[in-house]
Amino acid sequence: MRPGHPMHTRRQLLLSGAGAAAAAALGGAAVAGSASASGVAPAESEAMRVYRLLSVEQLMLFTYDQVLVAPAVTPRTRRALAPLRAQEETHVHVLAAQLAALGGVAPSSPTSVAVANVDLARRRVKGRLGQLRGDQDALRLLISTERVVVGAYFVALTMIEDRRLIVLVTRIMANDSQHEALIGELLYPGDTPKAVPFGLVQGVQ
Amino acid sequence: MVSDDEGCARRKLLSGVGAALVGFGAVGLAGCGTSGATGQTAAKKVSPPVEHTDVEILDGLLALERRTVAAYTAGMPLLRRADAKMAKQFLYQEFQHTGELLGLIKSAGGEDPPRPESYDLGHPRDDQEVLALLHSLERAQIAAYLHAIPRLKPGPVRAAAASILASDAQHIAILRLTQGLTPAPSALVTAAE
Repeated sequence: MRPGHPMHTRRQLLLSGAGAAAAAALGGAAVAGSASASGVAPAESEAMRVYRLLSVEQLMLFTYDQVLVAPAVTPRTRRALAPLRAQEETHVHVLAAQLAALGGVAPSSPTSVAVANVDLARRRVKGRLGQLRGDQDALRLLISTERVVVGAYFVALTMIEDRRLIVLVTRIMANDSQHEALIGELLYPGDTPKAVPFGLVQGVQ
Repeated sequence: MVSDDEGCARRKLLSGVGAALVGFGAVGLAGCGTSGATGQTAAKKVSPPVEHTDVEILDGLLALERRTVAAYTAGMPLLRRADAKMAKQFLYQEFQHTGELLGLIKSAGGEDPPRPESYDLGHPRDDQEVLALLHSLERAQIAAYLHAIPRLKPGPVRAAAASILASDAQHIAILRLTQGLTPAPSALVTAAE
């Protein structure tokens, strides 16, 4: 369960048709238990898929915000990253609106560096906020997180059925992939094979 | 990796590219590397199988990818050294895209579609004109994928196509950076870049 996630939100999400699979994602032991007891894997709703994407985008945005105020990060790198951070904010807003339209309620954004670090660790991202020693550290943390975000979209696309949602998710995934490439270019200037190493961009799942 | 089939196809394609080069300059063949997922391998991972109705859509995407491969191949000799290094990497990845698409087409019971004898790529004369050509071709590919992906079934095939689109979106961002443009102008990639 995401720390600090309000229970009423989970109930509302479930009541809104997000499905019993929400229990697994949100840590609702009782509901998860009943779903498991039935022996049938419940189908995950589109709302739950958007919820998951919004959750990881919120973590991405929080990570950018922390990197941009980290004393160890140079002004030059901050300037390069600021437009990417702005686009992450757009992703969050667009997904939140989409989730609301589906009758869901947005998850809470990380409330502290400690909470975000727990989430980063859970998603197997290397590097931690609050421990950045310079631009390279910050860029590596961001590129790792971007890859987790891209991976979340890739997985979601295997399941989403609504055509308009497919297009939206594809467009955001493409933009986050661009972020990955641009951060790669900051890490390895002029060395495209290192900066853009993958021909099939699927992120980390 | 470029699959054996596509590797063979690549050789055929390159002979076809020669025809495209009338008025375009000499052919520069970049090394293509041998690592990464093949289309055949990727297709095997896709379950349930690709639907035959998708073949026409995938054929169209493959045709665009092959045109872009021809452009990278033909344009590389006109690029500055640093830009040629970038183009070589992107060419390798475009080959991966063709391999992936061909794998999906074959797993749906389709066949390798015929290739044109040549491509009308215009007459770029220098680095900037080649970059502009590559930019326009990547943009056309992105538009085609955005149109095609919601029409593909099942979901894993859509995701496979999206992984190619995401790569092309990376290409266009780096190309735009090289051209002195804002690399990723939109939070939602639109093919207007």
